[in-house]
Amino acid sequence: MTTSLTPLTAPTEARIQDIGSAEILVGIPSYNNADTVGHVVRAVSVGLAKHFPGRRAVLVNSDGGSSDETTAIVARTAIDFEHLFIGDQQSVLHRIVTPYHGIPGKGSAFRTIFEIARRLKAKACAVVDADLRSISPEWIELLLRPIMEEGYDYVAPYYLRHKYDGTITNSLAYPLTRALYGQRVRQPIGGEFGFSGALAAHYLDQHVWESEVARFGIDIWMTTEAIASGARVCQSFLGAKIHNPKDPAADLSAMLMQVMGALFALMEQHECLWSRQEGSQPVPLFGFPYEVGVEPVHVNVERMVSHFRQGLTDLEPIWRQILADDTFAQLHELQGTSSTDCRIPDELWVQVVYDAATAYRKRIMPRDHLLKSLTPLYLGRTASFIYATQGLTSTEAEQKIEALCHTFERMKPYLVERWQPPALQPVVPALLHHATTDAGGDHG
Amino acid sequence: MDNFINQALLKPLELLGHQVLNVLPNVLAMGIILLGGLFTAWVFGSFAERLFRVIGFDHLCDRLGMNAALLRGGVKTDPSRIVGRSIYWTVLVLASIAALGALNLTPINQFAQSLLAYVPHLVTAAVILLAGYFLSNFVSRAVLIAAVNAGLPPARLIAACSRWGIQALAGAMALEQLGIAQHIVVVGFGITWGGIVLAGAIAFGLGAADLAKGFLERRLVARSKSNTVDDLHHL
Repeated sequence: MTTSLTPLTAPTEARIQDIGSAEILVGIPSYNNADTVGHVVRAVSVGLAKHFPGRRAVLVNSDGGSSDETTAIVARTAIDFEHLFIGDQQSVLHRIVTPYHGIPGKGSAFRTIFEIARRLKAKACAVVDADLRSISPEWIELLLRPIMEEGYDYVAPYYLRHKYDGTITNSLAYPLTRALYGQRVRQPIGGEFGFSGALAAHYLDQHVWESEVARFGIDIWMTTEAIASGARVCQSFLGAKIHNPKDPAADLSAMLMQVMGALFALMEQHECLWSRQEGSQPVPLFGFPYEVGVEPVHVNVERMVSHFRQGLTDLEPIWRQILADDTFAQLHELQGTSSTDCRIPDELWVQVVYDAATAYRKRIMPRDHLLKSLTPLYLGRTASFIYATQGLTSTEAEQKIEALCHTFERMKPYLVERWQPPALQPVVPALLHHATTDAGGDHG
Repeated sequence: MDNFINQALLKPLELLGHQVLNVLPNVLAMGIILLGGLFTAWVFGSFAERLFRVIGFDHLCDRLGMNAALLRGGVKTDPSRIVGRSIYWTVLVLASIAALGALNLTPINQFAQSLLAYVPHLVTAAVILLAGYFLSNFVSRAVLIAAVNAGLPPARLIAACSRWGIQALAGAMALEQLGIAQHIVVVGFGITWGGIVLAGAIAFGLGAADLAKGFLERRLVARSKSNTVDDLHHL
């Protein structure tokens, strides 16, 4: 590991010199978020003034070259504390607005935030997205207090979301992270995090900033790296997460490739850790959980099934290379079924994910191709989940996700067996066969 | 009579004998070079085959789709063996050319030199073909995945077109490198592609006007009906 400094601009260096040190740092990565960033800055400022009045705090905006008013809004947003019943604000909130260097992406923005935290010797840090509409001052307390007062190193968010919101999280990131590393972090790619200054320094020392992590996949990397480094991890209940609508033309396969690529790359890196891990443990949850109405989500399931069917036909040679024979045979059986019966059950989805991880490790084809070719499979699985949870409440849908997580954990020996190099593989039959015989009839 | 025998019979025989004696060392040298070439070719070929097998060349080719392509072409030999045999025959051909040169006969020397001068072109053409094959595989797979993810029905057709387009281009370049009908290849390639595009346009616009209309209606109208926008947040 090295402790080389991340380059900062001269004005930022000067600003850090002026400020000297800080106890708390809140980072806001941004890119063209003029509509919402003012609200986020106000929430952060009020949260710090209300919950940490005596602490020396810094707000850092790490911007990716916004062409709108984002940085100007961050710099000039003012708060009327009196109308918020905050009279005892003792410390001025310093602001640093800086562009980041390196590969364009959220990861590089975070790197700059980590570097400023290290130079200011911050004890506790938090990062929040600049496109949030539902952030409140309490979020700042919930993300920072477990670090400041409870001795935790990493705080993951816990949101209330619609049952069809966050499908990559529900069907892949959460169950896989939980099965691999044994920690039930419900939103491992949430976007808002709290972490200690020591953990920020640890992040900076990792040699990932020229890789895909610097571009995308920073969220899952931070969560996994925190768990793998032995940091104390907890969650904070933040309520509903509402953010600016994403670009509807955003490429799903690119999004999926980033998350899956980061997950699989981390599996290679932490093989010794996850291959010994059995089962999972709950992660402490701070905050006051409550029910809240979430915005309805419209989905076009038929189009998802249609994509999946086309994948079955057109991507057959590629899937045959990636998946085990048994896995592909089960998928192939779905070809003749009706639209509503075309479902990928939990066990089959887990096999698909574990086969894909193994194929990624063995580099059986260019990794971009491998990851992108899984998009129709993901859509097929998402359609299956939607069919299976139609008419169910969010709590009942959550139980389905819990069942999927158990399947991921139960079938982990299948992954361990396939992951091993051929020379080390045991001659005993796959544990999967034992696992599938007692599988329940409820399939995702 | 003696004079006649000496002049008409023995003199030519003596001359022939002298010529044979002059050529014999060259023939012997040719034989030795050939035998040495055979031995060297066998050693190099066997060594290369073993080396490639040990470093996992067969496995690499399998991952690159070469084994499947060879099987499709009816070749059941593994890639390491093919490399070994190629090296064997290359060394043997070079040894044969050197052996022919040992005869020191002007026409044979000229033939050997022109054969040697052609070798770099052969190697370049082979490299172009090989690179074209790998590139076409890579591109067609990327195109296929992108087309399926975009929901384009003729995804396989688009991918196949990209594959054969690149392979045809590589073939044309290789032929040009070999100096085989250079202009005919370039012109033929242009005419073929131009013809395909023109034929496609005419067929689609005139010959299959109703089909084109129906196809576009199905695509556009069906899409507007079924392609309602999701609110789904995947992350």
